[in-house]
Amino acid sequence: MSPGQIRFFSLLRREISRFMKIKKQTLGGPLLETFLYITVFGGALGSRIKELHGIEYILFVIPGLIMMSLATNAFTNNSSSILQQKFLGAIHDQLSSPASPRELLLALNLGGFVRGLIVAALTFIVSVVLTNLGVAHVLVLIPALFLVGFFFANLGVLIGVRAEQFDDVAFAQTFVLQPLIFLGGVFYSASLLPQPFETLTRFNPVFYMISLVRYGFVGFSEVNIPVALAALTAATAALFLFNLRLFQRGYKLRS
Amino acid sequence: MPAANEKALEIVDLEKRYPNGVEALRGVSIAIEPGDFFGLLGPNGAGKSTLIHCATGLAQPTGGEIRVFGHDALSDYGAARIAIGLAPQEINLDMFLTVEETLDFHGGYFGMPKRDRKERTEELLETFSLTEKARQRTIALSGGMKRRLILARALMHRPRLLILDEPTAGVDIELRLELWHYVQKINAEGVTILLTTHYLEEADQLCGRIAFIAGGTIAAQGRSEDLAARYGVANLEDAYLALVGRRELSRSHVEGGVTA
Repeated sequence: MSPGQIRFFSLLRREISRFMKIKKQTLGGPLLETFLYITVFGGALGSRIKELHGIEYILFVIPGLIMMSLATNAFTNNSSSILQQKFLGAIHDQLSSPASPRELLLALNLGGFVRGLIVAALTFIVSVVLTNLGVAHVLVLIPALFLVGFFFANLGVLIGVRAEQFDDVAFAQTFVLQPLIFLGGVFYSASLLPQPFETLTRFNPVFYMISLVRYGFVGFSEVNIPVALAALTAATAALFLFNLRLFQRGYKLRS
Repeated sequence: MPAANEKALEIVDLEKRYPNGVEALRGVSIAIEPGDFFGLLGPNGAGKSTLIHCATGLAQPTGGEIRVFGHDALSDYGAARIAIGLAPQEINLDMFLTVEETLDFHGGYFGMPKRDRKERTEELLETFSLTEKARQRTIALSGGMKRRLILARALMHRPRLLILDEPTAGVDIELRLELWHYVQKINAEGVTILLTTHYLEEADQLCGRIAFIAGGTIAAQGRSEDLAARYGVANLEDAYLALVGRRELSRSHVEGGVTA
């Protein structure tokens, strides 16, 4: 391996090693939370709602839960990791290394993405065991999960870099991320909502992400798939470039 | 390719103005020759740490130039940073890592291959009496052990220029002497040292050349005797007191006062 590759994989290993050392909190907790959602919504609501758009209710919900696991874990990992490192000053060891801003940002992104993917994969396995979940459109599902993971990993980086205290991260997660995800149609279909809520839902970017992932798993979508994929690609790329600019400027990282 | 007569660290007209308007550095220039043991002394807030942060990429200069063994610290930062090992003033260890992981990851950040990292980690753990603590998390170490680990980490990638920012602040006398013996040894082996400290007797004893920094500018630099002569006093400590405007604290005055 070249020195650059060693550097990049060391940065990435550090990120993965951090969440693996506290896996009860970083992997176990989110997995239990998702399992509880499946149990409650599948068992309690599922027995009353039965089907949405001809799809068993629990199967309608699970893709949204998988997307939610991926998104929140990728986001939380990166926002927490950066803020903790800033708080301890440990980030100076990486900032004073020869690593470029791009290498630092990519390693952080990939670290959060891997954590999100592990929780999402475990959720998928549990879902396959408990339900009839399958994959309808793998060629949409893979890019959709990839893009959702990197979008929220990048968002976590942005919030972590901007944050000056742990409250800032908690605020973003509780008052921005969770409402967007819950109101994005994880547990319901937007077309069943009365106006103006149906139209308002379509202004929520998470709605398109959930729809893409749901289409990948169960073949049902309320959005135009190619347009949604293109828009998500553009949004992820724009966020990455914005973060890269912040890293190059050293915004709230270098004095 | 850097020239053969390159300086270990060459700083020319370095300026650093923070966004809040504070001018931490106002045209600082110093040149440190390869193999030097160079001291940077000054009161708190004089600009010592800011200068070090600018050289290591932790702060962004607003003017001037920094070259490390001929490599520009901004445009050729990769080569410049590989040449520098930084032991910062504050304890900034990653609490999630063990002692050996701290060294291993640092070596990785600097592109060291796995086998080299393993050998170097073992060597440094042994040198700094940390072998028994290798698998312990850094958060569980005593203050002295953390200080040793920070120095070991700075040396992990075999830097040609070691920057020590108040490395003995708060450490016991035994560890302080141990650290200085080691630092003198690697200096004799060719590693250039830039030291900031508030212990003037350390600077006097260890440093071949010293610069006084105050208010973001270099007030004077040279050998300890040159600085004493410059301020018309007997020794480095008195020269420093003259720099900070506290001549009345000179031991000669105090002792004279008591005798009288």
